Amino acid sequence: MAYLDLKNVNKSFSGVVAVHDFNLEIDKGSLVSFLGPSGCGKTTTLRMIAGFGHLDQGTIELDGADITAVPPNQRDIGMVFQAYALFPNMTVRGNVAFGLLMKKMPKREIDQRVDNVLEMVRLQDAAKRFPHQLSGGQQQRIALARALAVQPRVLLLDEPLSALDAEVRVVLRGEIRRIQSELAITTVYVTHDQEEALSISDKVVVMNKGVIEQIGIPEEIYRAPKTHFVATFIGTANQFLGKVSGIDTVICNHFNLLVDDMKGFNDGHRVVVLVRPEIIHVEPDQPQHDGWNIIPGEVETITFHGAVTRLGVNLHGQRVAADITVANTKPISLNQKIWLLFPPDACQVMDVDEG
Amino acid sequence: MKNPRKPERETKTGVRPAGWQILFIALFLAYMLLPIVSTYVFSVATRWDRTILPEGYTIEFYIRAFQTSYFISTLRNSLILSVATILVSLIVIVPTVYWVHTRLTGFKPFLDLLMILPFGIPTVVLALALVQIYNVPPLARSPILLIGAVVVYSMPFMYRPVSNALQAIDALTLTEAGQSLGANVFQVLSKIIIPNILPGILSGSLLVFSTVFAEYTLTSLIVGARFKTFPLLLVEYTRINGNIAAAFSVVSFTIAWLVSILILWVGSKGENAPAETIQAR
Repeated sequence: MAYLDLKNVNKSFSGVVAVHDFNLEIDKGSLVSFLGPSGCGKTTTLRMIAGFGHLDQGTIELDGADITAVPPNQRDIGMVFQAYALFPNMTVRGNVAFGLLMKKMPKREIDQRVDNVLEMVRLQDAAKRFPHQLSGGQQQRIALARALAVQPRVLLLDEPLSALDAEVRVVLRGEIRRIQSELAITTVYVTHDQEEALSISDKVVVMNKGVIEQIGIPEEIYRAPKTHFVATFIGTANQFLGKVSGIDTVICNHFNLLVDDMKGFNDGHRVVVLVRPEIIHVEPDQPQHDGWNIIPGEVETITFHGAVTRLGVNLHGQRVAADITVANTKPISLNQKIWLLFPPDACQVMDVDEG
Repeated sequence: MKNPRKPERETKTGVRPAGWQILFIALFLAYMLLPIVSTYVFSVATRWDRTILPEGYTIEFYIRAFQTSYFISTLRNSLILSVATILVSLIVIVPTVYWVHTRLTGFKPFLDLLMILPFGIPTVVLALALVQIYNVPPLARSPILLIGAVVVYSMPFMYRPVSNALQAIDALTLTEAGQSLGANVFQVLSKIIIPNILPGILSGSLLVFSTVFAEYTLTSLIVGARFKTFPLLLVEYTRINGNIAAAFSVVSFTIAWLVSILILWVGSKGENAPAETIQAR
């Protein structure tokens, strides 16, 4: 049975639907992220779990008990906010001890617990400082320590890294995942950053316009997107419009594509085929590879991204992105005629009307 | 030990002020300070109508002022009125503004508008209307009615600083952070919100104190001699002896300044506390 269970949750703000028919089961000790563009309902859903904002419909159950009507201060659910929300009038120690004081824990135990969580976030030296004397990254570590000190049943993180520098973000997300795994604390993580969601989650919930588009482990979300929205929102995907012909071919304007899984689309159905840039091989000479898609094109742009170089290739008027690495590709120059090749199982077929 | 404040004393741009700038500052200071200085001098002058400076100096008027039978009782009444007004204002304003900033944000423009109203009604009209409406015992012409009226009259002075302070701290997120850590609404208010808006509360209290301590019209029309305050005594003496009235004014200024300094000192102590604590450790 799920530890945290959201059933048929609905919420609208003055007639505008924010969350629609949200159903989700979260296992104890797992980290689940809500991923989506701004306004997709992810933060609204998180806030309803925390107890901020009523549900129009549906229930939220925690450990088998209905908590839908329980006020936020009695839910035993910790929260970390995007803007840190540390109490400016208290020292770091005061902030971290606050929840324990509210629980009327004996002073000696409070001191012990505070020391433990500060050590966990590696900021034991900052105990006597005030929030305004800390960097953004340090403040967010303290906010995390403060939420963890009370040993909540669920930890909620609302875009905790959005206000931080890129470098700090990467370090801190690793820290969050490390601590979350160590404590095995059930965690819900809201983000609009796909890399963040894919890198730290046990499960990703992709949301759009208040609706769940797909729930899955990060690899599934990336490699087998179920909807057009997921495929285009996560990573980059080249899109080819065409018509289904038989069980393994999509006829596009200037070439045919072999696909592995037609997902039950019938002959003549208009579909879009999605292919990720990093799965496409680039060859300067015409390759021989039976059963693969091989399409000639001309290099129009070359953009260096560090680990990879992205080529913009003109395929009969359509710009297609293909990623190459120095290690496995021969040198390519602008306006060079090249061949793109990719296997049929790299092609994801979607209904045109979706999204 | 280094003095950390020293750099602030230098002019920010490093450019010396021009002559005309000094002239404007001098005019401003003269406009503000000359009446006050004159009052101080007049309160110790023997005769000052035939010469530029007084003909002689004396402390006689202070002795006579302190010996006035109503001196202590009017000062006490003014203090009671000011402190009671501050307390009622705080109890009414702080929770209201807090709710408006966190839960009823749509109500804020209305409240902003409402808080201009006391400035829009002539004090005389307010006083006469209140006297007529509350013409029932025990309210009629009572100090309680006066406190009620003065609270309304001075409300904008408490509302603005408190509202600005709440705006500055993101009260809603701090409230939610407190709630998620198990605090109820009273704990959130007393341990998180109020300590963080204390500078606003103090400056509001200061403004209310100085407004109410010098309040004449409402007091005169609502309670009159039944609850005589210091400004009433002062006005009375302007008709009896100008020098004694000047001595009363000096006493009034001095009290207002002492209270201001006290409140500012308490406020700055609160703000500096964090930095000092760290240096000490």
